[in-house]
Amino acid sequence: MGHFSVSVMGKDRPGIVAEVSRVLYEFGFNIEDSTCTILSGQFAMILVVFHEKLKEVADVSPSFDEVRQGMGLQVTIHSLKAEEVVHEKSFSGRPHIISVYGADRPGIVYSVARELAQRKVNITDLNTQVVGSKERPVYVMVLEVDIPESVDRKELDGEFERIKKELGVSISVRPIETLEL
Amino acid sequence: MAILPILQFPDPGLKEKSSPVAGVTAEVSAFIDDLLETMRASPGCIGIAAPQVGMLSRIIVVDVSGHRRGGQEENHGLLVLVNPEILARGGKQIVREGCMSVPDYTANVQRAQWILVDALDREGKQTILEAVGFESIAIQHEVDHLDGYLFLDRVSSIKTDIFRRKRYR
Repeated sequence: MGHFSVSVMGKDRPGIVAEVSRVLYEFGFNIEDSTCTILSGQFAMILVVFHEKLKEVADVSPSFDEVRQGMGLQVTIHSLKAEEVVHEKSFSGRPHIISVYGADRPGIVYSVARELAQRKVNITDLNTQVVGSKERPVYVMVLEVDIPESVDRKELDGEFERIKKELGVSISVRPIETLEL
Repeated sequence: MAILPILQFPDPGLKEKSSPVAGVTAEVSAFIDDLLETMRASPGCIGIAAPQVGMLSRIIVVDVSGHRRGGQEENHGLLVLVNPEILARGGKQIVREGCMSVPDYTANVQRAQWILVDALDREGKQTILEAVGFESIAIQHEVDHLDGYLFLDRVSSIKTDIFRRKRYR
């Protein structure tokens, strides 16, 4: 028995979820976790599945040949160790939302992500999008991050100030406050 | 006065609809004192509803005045609301909520920004009040308890809206 990660990608149209879940059901997989989204018209699906008997990727991968050929989807499978499978998102530091936006130009995501990585700030959610008109595209990025207690916020804010000037973007960092009820 | 034990999910009592209170009798008043003491015994707690302590009566208590951010917004201080009814809602806001009855999780919940509430006060007198911001969220969360709803019933995405609390050992 074993856990597998399955990623499915292809041109969006109705019936992808039905077809993928049919194959999973018929081959005896249990869907433990999944998320789907549409990126620029491409449907992307990531699942963590469990099988009572199968444990090798080579045993599992042929199950999806029908989906690959029939629907023209890319299906990639990896096996996961039991200890790698964690069911909930958890925070060990302080959760924050970082919003970044400005005229579209290269390096916005990297500049912010590099500063976060250097301070071991974990990105727990990230969405980026280009909005606005073709002539004046605006890049928007919203991150949810887990900032460890040990991080010097003044120093991190200083780096963000530098990025704001260098790239001409706006960056705001705000704590996610919990109302105790 | 007494600190009452808090029911925790999946206790079926939390999914029940509470009954209206006929009037603020001495008995009800004594219960309200216990409810207040129970709320204040929990650090940072700004609201509690009667069904959370196993009493299926439409009584809630809210006090955001001591909250770091809620206290800076417009608020009524300590509010005891008996048979509260939300008459009108306006606007939208999303704030992360925690609940003594669901201690392991917090969640992003969308609530109205502004509400108009009809209720009996601590003395049993009918009152109509407006609430905004955190106080409005607290009242909506507690009124939900009276109808058997938890914040888990209000989230739109389990993936992006529910968070496991870090346990400090």
